[in-house]
Amino acid sequence: MPLRPALLAASQPAAAPSPPREATAVGLLAALAALAPFLLGWLSLAPNRLLSPRPAELPMGPELGLAMGGFLLACLLVLLLARRAALLPWAEAAAALALCALLATAGLGARAALEAASPMARAMPAAGVWVAMLLLALAAGSCAAGRGGTPGRFLALAVLGVGGLLATGLLDGLSVVHEAAARGPELRSAFSGHLALAGGALALALMVSVPLSLLALRRPRLEAALMGLANGFQVVPSLALFGLLMGPLAALAALWPALRDWGVGGIGPAPAILGIAAYLLLPLASSLLAGLRVASPALLDAARGQGMTEAGILRRLRLPLGWGVMLGGLRVAAVQAVGLATLAALIGGGGLGRLVFQGIGQMAADLILLGVLPVVLLSLLVDGLLAILQSGLEVAR
Amino acid sequence: MIRFEGVTRRYGDRAVVDRVTLDVPDGSICVLLGESGSGKSTLMRMVNRLVEPSAGRVLVNGRDVTATDPETLRRGIGYVIQSVGLFPHWRVAENVATVPRLLGWEAARIATRVDELLALVGLEPGRFRDRFPHELSGGQAQRVGLARALAADPPLLLMDEPFSALDPGTRRGLQAELRTIHAETGKTILFVTHDVEEALALADTVAVLEEGRLAARGRPAELLERGTGAPVRRLFGEESLAFHRLATLPASTIARPEDAAGDLPILPAEASLKQALMLMLSEGSDRLAVPPTGEFPGGTLYWADLVRPA
Ligand SMILES: Nc1ncnc2c1ncn2[C@@H]1O[C@H](COP(=O)(O)OP(=O)(O)OP(=O)(O)O)[C@@H](O)[C@H]1O
Ligand SMILES: [Mg+2]
Repeated sequence: MPLRPALLAASQPAAAPSPPREATAVGLLAALAALAPFLLGWLSLAPNRLLSPRPAELPMGPELGLAMGGFLLACLLVLLLARRAALLPWAEAAAALALCALLATAGLGARAALEAASPMARAMPAAGVWVAMLLLALAAGSCAAGRGGTPGRFLALAVLGVGGLLATGLLDGLSVVHEAAARGPELRSAFSGHLALAGGALALALMVSVPLSLLALRRPRLEAALMGLANGFQVVPSLALFGLLMGPLAALAALWPALRDWGVGGIGPAPAILGIAAYLLLPLASSLLAGLRVASPALLDAARGQGMTEAGILRRLRLPLGWGVMLGGLRVAAVQAVGLATLAALIGGGGLGRLVFQGIGQMAADLILLGVLPVVLLSLLVDGLLAILQSGLEVAR
Repeated sequence: MIRFEGVTRRYGDRAVVDRVTLDVPDGSICVLLGESGSGKSTLMRMVNRLVEPSAGRVLVNGRDVTATDPETLRRGIGYVIQSVGLFPHWRVAENVATVPRLLGWEAARIATRVDELLALVGLEPGRFRDRFPHELSGGQAQRVGLARALAADPPLLLMDEPFSALDPGTRRGLQAELRTIHAETGKTILFVTHDVEEALALADTVAVLEEGRLAARGRPAELLERGTGAPVRRLFGEESLAFHRLATLPASTIARPEDAAGDLPILPAEASLKQALMLMLSEGSDRLAVPPTGEFPGGTLYWADLVRPA
């Protein structure tokens, strides 16, 4: 009996909430992110925009020390907050903070380094910074994985924070920002062109797959044909498909010159949009069909037996029960569209791919990045927004 | 009233329902009994046009069902299935209100009707109205399914193995309740089952299907008379046929009109001979007292009389 209090006391620590499953992974990622710039370098300097950069020392100063301290502190915060399940969302936010501090450090370092260099010189984040950014994004992803979502909080805060940093001019020293400033109008038109390509292809694919899926729902042979076609497109390499479309479209435009005013021709956005849409057919059609079939045969039998019409069944059962699955497919398709639209530049379709391929041609890394970064950002945003919509609909049920 | 006139349904060149002619009188419970695959569901589903006959016709109240468009027809016929099929994203009240809403009733009328029905099927409206189907047990879900079928007060109810997925206790409870509801509402019920005890417990008439053909039909007692045909014997089992027959005969008919000794176990007059046998076995007595009720003057039931008619 006298043992009892001692036993109770010993069991006390176990009663405290144990760290969530994600704690280890998030902690490790945050620690590695904090170390990466020190191991792999903060900054690279190039004598001009076309020569390859070399690692450079970070010219320490009070402002820079503050930013670096903020970065390390934020990484530590991520690690600590992730040890409590309830605080995981805050750990995700801290990761965004760390990302902003990291960029601020790199930006301040670049600014200071350029003061001592020639006016042609360019400064850019070194491998350590890129790796740390990736690790922070992964840490945020792990934080969000626990609640089964995408790291929307991280994305939103990071976009806001980086936007703020850009607005204050803190990042002006970085060569990508320099490049963006020099090519402002070009970047904007490439961006809107990219949106038009991806959006147009998605709209076209939806216009084809929605009615066909609805028809195929109760026609096995049409379904087999539709899925066969959609699967077939996936096998053709995308550039080859764009190429294959050029011939027929050029012929069409030659036949009806009026079509040219609409942008239809062998070269330009038309074959690109058609080609991209062809790839989107599979994720869209398969998820539409799967979504429409979430309502089980027994449920449909009950619904028909009560005297619901087929239209009523679609509106009241198939759609509300299948939204989640269908939006999942839309999400995949939208992200794919944004990615594939990069290739449109190869056949004169414009978009952000133009910057990328120009950059490759000139061997100008900054220009490549200027094209790639908005594509990545756009994919993440599209994915995040649709994920929020999807989880919103699931809660609404 | 439902009348099947030479109804046939073929899939490919196989007749799944083969020239069935059958009447289900108003206000009665007709049980379609048969092995799995004998065509019970197919026959039933031709009443509300979920299946169309290949030949013959189905009449409801003298009208060919094909004269009414399927949706209108179905809204006037209650439909209950084994898997229940409650809409998972609707609350119990909305599920029950399915048909009244399709018929365009006013909200207030629907609300009163829903509460009335939940009470009728033994679910307290206040507790169950706002639940989602996944918050119900199997038995509760099937009660809701029954309430949904009764919502617009259809004169006719089709029930396809509604209790088959439930445990025996719950099943007996729901059978008893269905009989009560039937007695109160006087619905015409076509009930599909492959469970012979369930058939005997519920049926006014039993129709036995074998490979799509109507193999026998009649009141339970008629069906199980000595010398009944092979299909019925197969279905009920040769060795337990006599036992099932006891279930179809009321005890009062063979009770001797003599005053029972005071210490005999008491059997209610409306009990079946099967129940009498069970009581004798459990009480270890070869005689039972049957007290007077209604027209029956009371009497004593003897073991010797019990085994004779069987
Ligand atoms: N749509 C269909 N197409 C082809 N065959 C069918 C179809 N519907 C039913 N059948 C066949 O018809 C036969 C009878 O089916 P039905 O569903 O009426 O049987 P059941 O008596 O209700 O059986 P269970 O007790 O298993 O429900 C089965 O052999 C079944 O395979
Ligand atoms: Mg069946």
